[in-house]
Amino acid sequence: MSRTIDRPALVVGLLLLAAAAIVAFDASRQTITSNYGVGPTAMPYVVCAGLVVLGLAHLVVAFKEGLPKPEVADVRALLWIGGGLAGLIACIALGGGFIIATAILFSCTARGFGRDALPADIAIGLVLGSAIYLLFLKLLTLSLPAGPLERLLG
Amino acid sequence: MDTLLSLANGFSVAFEPSKLLFCLIGVFLGTAVGVLPGIGPALTVALLLPVTFKLDPAGSLIMFAGIYYGGMYGGSTTAILLNAPGESASLATALEGSKMAKAGRGGPALATAAIGSFVAGLIATIGLAFLAPWLVELAIKFGPWDYFALMIVAFVTVSATFGDSPLRGLTSLFLGMLLGLVGIDKLTGQARLTFGVPELLNGIEVTTLAVGLFAVGEAFYVASKRWREPEEIIPIKGSLWMTKQDWKRSWAPWLRGTAYGFPIGALPAGGAEVPTFLSYSTEKKLCKYPEEFGKGAIEGVAGPEAANNASAAGTLVPLLTLGLPTSATAAIMLAGFQQYGLNPGPLLFAEKPDLVWGLIASLFVANVMLVILNLPLIGLWVRLLAVPQPWLYAGILVFATMGTLAVNPSPVELGMLFLFGYLGYLMRRYDYPVAPMVVGLILGPMAEAQLRRALQISLGDPMILLENPGSATLLGIAFIALVAPFVMKGLNRFKAAED
Amino acid sequence: MLTAILKRGAVTAVALAGLTTAAFAQLELKIMAPAAPGGGWDGTARSMQQALTASGIAKSVQVTNVTGAGGTIGLAQLIGAKGDGHQLMVNGFVMVGAILLNKSPVNLTQATPIARLTAEALVIVVPADSPIKTAKDLAERVKADPAKVTWAGGSAGGADHILAALFAEAAGGDPKKINYIPFSGGGEALAAMLGGRVTAGISGYGEFEGQIKAGKLRVIGVSASKRLDNAPDAPTLKEGGVNLELLNWRSVVAPPGLTDAQKATLSGAIDKMAKSKEWAEILKARGWDDAYLASAEFDAFLKAETVRVEKVMRDVGMVK
Repeated sequence: MSRTIDRPALVVGLLLLAAAAIVAFDASRQTITSNYGVGPTAMPYVVCAGLVVLGLAHLVVAFKEGLPKPEVADVRALLWIGGGLAGLIACIALGGGFIIATAILFSCTARGFGRDALPADIAIGLVLGSAIYLLFLKLLTLSLPAGPLERLLG
Repeated sequence: MDTLLSLANGFSVAFEPSKLLFCLIGVFLGTAVGVLPGIGPALTVALLLPVTFKLDPAGSLIMFAGIYYGGMYGGSTTAILLNAPGESASLATALEGSKMAKAGRGGPALATAAIGSFVAGLIATIGLAFLAPWLVELAIKFGPWDYFALMIVAFVTVSATFGDSPLRGLTSLFLGMLLGLVGIDKLTGQARLTFGVPELLNGIEVTTLAVGLFAVGEAFYVASKRWREPEEIIPIKGSLWMTKQDWKRSWAPWLRGTAYGFPIGALPAGGAEVPTFLSYSTEKKLCKYPEEFGKGAIEGVAGPEAANNASAAGTLVPLLTLGLPTSATAAIMLAGFQQYGLNPGPLLFAEKPDLVWGLIASLFVANVMLVILNLPLIGLWVRLLAVPQPWLYAGILVFATMGTLAVNPSPVELGMLFLFGYLGYLMRRYDYPVAPMVVGLILGPMAEAQLRRALQISLGDPMILLENPGSATLLGIAFIALVAPFVMKGLNRFKAAED
Repeated sequence: MLTAILKRGAVTAVALAGLTTAAFAQLELKIMAPAAPGGGWDGTARSMQQALTASGIAKSVQVTNVTGAGGTIGLAQLIGAKGDGHQLMVNGFVMVGAILLNKSPVNLTQATPIARLTAEALVIVVPADSPIKTAKDLAERVKADPAKVTWAGGSAGGADHILAALFAEAAGGDPKKINYIPFSGGGEALAAMLGGRVTAGISGYGEFEGQIKAGKLRVIGVSASKRLDNAPDAPTLKEGGVNLELLNWRSVVAPPGLTDAQKATLSGAIDKMAKSKEWAEILKARGWDDAYLASAEFDAFLKAETVRVEKVMRDVGMVK
């Protein structure tokens, strides 16, 4: 940890350069070209050039004033919300259905924002999810991802 | 005079009780679905098509038009209250609108959006009735080179959304353009940056990125600093209704927004996004209180919302006069016409004047219904913000994921939403603006496709951009907009040195 | 933006309305439209749903939408549903090209062919003030300098693009050199035609019909074997001296690994549907041409089309 180097700016700069490299690599592997005018690789190279310039600028900034210094984050809150979203995705992927997924997301987010009543929030989430599910099904004839609970309602 | 007579005839159709009922159902449904992120009027009309198969054509088309206008109204509500722009056209509204809502000015924000939409819808529908045949002649003269130049103007003015650091603003913009590259290239059909993931072939959805960066990112950010500086949401501060000052600051943006939205919406590839961006940056430039931009300036809601609604009416110009569907909803409405064996176009005005003019008259009726329906709702909506913070944000996240779950519940899509949410958090943490990224995703692919079409037609000669008066003028405007700030700065310094 | 809003729909009121009992009334079907609600394949799937339930052939029909990659994501899901005798998928000509273009790991020939249902002829048009009057005029220009003939049409690798390439080939030009400009959505291509930005445009007849009747576009040729019933004045490409036929067909397939009994049930149901008066009414309302081919003939047809499309796409340089 050097005193003069701003780590976040350095990381952003390097990531931008890496992104530029990926874009250039992908563009270099394009096989189909346009017969007339500019081909499908022109825009990627423009974006790539822009990313390189911005990446280098970030490196310069890293050795100068750096990025704005953020305050310490509440990691536990982030983990609860992130966990809620991950739970939702897992629930949908495993066929748990919309209502359970919604209950997971709702209760975890409320927990992340400092509410300490997980069972009550799970119940609220279940009711909310069921209401939304029925509303979509009946009003819009659109069926949200179905799991065991949805089949009971359906 | 002919037009007035036809329009009067149209009103006699639109005021039939059954037509009024269809219109009411339409605006109600439209507002309801417009509020849901990711579920817009196009999907609603598509789902209702088979149901309306047996109904009377005029009635169901009037209902579809009501849904269309209603959806535009509803979209602004979530953008302002929850910072979750459900469609790309309400992105600009969310920028200032959500700031206003958090400062207790959600009422005036929703009111200026609703009244602005009404004014814009009214003017644009008058434009549709009287100028359509003339405007459409102009619209089809717009070539790919003109579109490209228009995109460049939009790109240049986008810096209005950059915040205080050009470096971080540009980084955000270019990351958006990078995301815009992902998927099948429209002009050759080959995949770019998909890494063999089939779900990426269709590209990154604008709504996924916008909802992720805005709503999910904000939830992460607010939670992360909850202990240090708890966010204070004030549901109502001062008047729920617009003050005299608000009116004074709103009317000109409404008119300017309409002036952007209607003609650009009438262009076959104009869309609703470009006019809202142009309106936002114009208002920021012209505003007497530029320091309020970024903190909740009412002009930033009034202008883009008017532009959004006016472009919806603009879209109907090529649809009715030529049968050109230029937006998703217009494409579905065209299918609605065709299901009754009707082909919109020059012949329809001659063959079925009752239907066409009845439809146009219904748009006026729908507009009035919407403003009557929406204004009383404002008080109710604003009270949503009084929900305790844990539940409010939990609800916002449920809401944000619901759109994705309804339209494309694949784990890949949901994973992207999560990822963009976390990115939005990091960007907020280090003070990168998030709006330019969405703008880059929208404008990048549009500009690329139009430029390549232009150069394909000219067989690779870039001079085509300067030889056409339309594109040359627009590029000139873009150039002036780009260098003017520097020149002004230089002049000021020069003056200062002289003094 | 279209796909942003439209991705997935499900049971419509039609399914609920059609709970009549009849011979096949036990049959429960799922029809997948491998595209967004509102598009052509979705329209076909929902029309099938309507016909199957209204005529009492099936007890319930559920339409699902799987969006993406020219339908190949839906196809991959269908191939994965091995042995499911209740699943059908709508597909069509465009998917053949999309499979090649997207280097899809699954192939249409892996699916069980059930029937071809409809077909639409494409039409080549020019702006009304164009000096090009006949297919022969256009063919001569393409042969002389393919770069100067700009084509407006739908997505790259779709039916419109394939027709432009086949036209160049039939005209004696080099299909690799065609100047084909894909537009997103019919509206934009039509605007480019009306604005006189391009030499010629290709689309389904229905999409250009209004403008043709209004005299703003001139038909150069229809890609069918004979003149269309609803447009007796429009010559075929063959009449214009360009020996070329292409139909944008839509069909229905089932998952692989079906037993003979399952296959017979499905193709029997679709056969009944294709001959029902409900289906005939839908075809008429939608302006689709009946192009019914039963399972075995459709199988052979599909194989022939696959070979043809693959050759064209190689000729154009889209597949290497």
